[in-house]
Amino acid sequence: MSRSLQHEVTLLELVDRVLNKGVVLSGDITLSVADVDLVYVGLRVLLSSVATLEEQAQLAAGGVPAR
Amino acid sequence: MTSAPIRETVTGWYLYGVVPAGGGEAPAARGVDPEHQLVTIDCGGIAGVASQVSLDEFDKSTLPERLGDAEWLERKIRAHEQVLEAVHARTAVVPCRFCTVYRDEDDLKAFLAAHATALAEALDLVAGRVELGVKAFTASEPASAAEQAESGRAYLEARRSEQRRREELTASSSRLAAELHVRLLSAAEDGVVLDLQSREAAGRNEEMLFNGAYLVSDRGHFEQTLGSVAREQGELQLELTGPWPPYNFVPEELGRG
Repeated sequence: MSRSLQHEVTLLELVDRVLNKGVVLSGDITLSVADVDLVYVGLRVLLSSVATLEEQAQLAAGGVPAR
Repeated sequence: MTSAPIRETVTGWYLYGVVPAGGGEAPAARGVDPEHQLVTIDCGGIAGVASQVSLDEFDKSTLPERLGDAEWLERKIRAHEQVLEAVHARTAVVPCRFCTVYRDEDDLKAFLAAHATALAEALDLVAGRVELGVKAFTASEPASAAEQAESGRAYLEARRSEQRRREELTASSSRLAAELHVRLLSAAEDGVVLDLQSREAAGRNEEMLFNGAYLVSDRGHFEQTLGSVAREQGELQLELTGPWPPYNFVPEELGRG
């Protein structure tokens, strides 16, 4: 796994935790469900572009992407 | 209480987590707004770990725009986590969700006071424990025989046998996942099954079979158990993450304390 990909995977682990878990106190400002969805949409674009890069790197190296 | 200094921007209070009171000074970690220091705000038997933040960044009206900025988001999420990790290294902590912000210190204190009992109970449950994440993937698949087949017939046969193998794998994977969870629970105080991540999101070619989080007081024992499972079930690739602050083991919502 490339370093950049590992980096993004860790970010995903983190996002799953800090956005969806943890106690919700009634702050004056908190993220709504819609806000969290927004984050995932943005993140998916980021992650899929990294996955595509990884796939291209495998092809360039003569390997067959196993998907 | 200090009177608000004259500033060009209005600030609010960002709450990272709640700790037992009397834990000493806040760690030197940088918060989500590097302009401001972390502080602990005592309230009865508990304390909030917080820092001031510019409401230019964190106000309700500007947040949606910021959330679409992946770079901003990553920086703030990592800062949130780094504060909690620094706190968690020293004491029990109940993590708060990303972007919990109060208009002023009095509002923050009022909310801590209103939920003091529930927060103290939540702290008791996680004290001396860490959260560990375990994910299981199918072991790497061999290169596809179908793609190497020389004749049409060989191709079809290879496709059929791959199809069968995949079906068998799916049937056995839910059983393996259930067994894995039971084994890991036996070495943990608590555990939850999390949503699976897609191949794309997880950045893996292998299919994710299981995603779980465990509240663990004896890490050595837990890791030994994981090692035993890995040796017994060679068809699984196991991945351990953490230790994390106990995000998955605090109540999502607090009742009126």
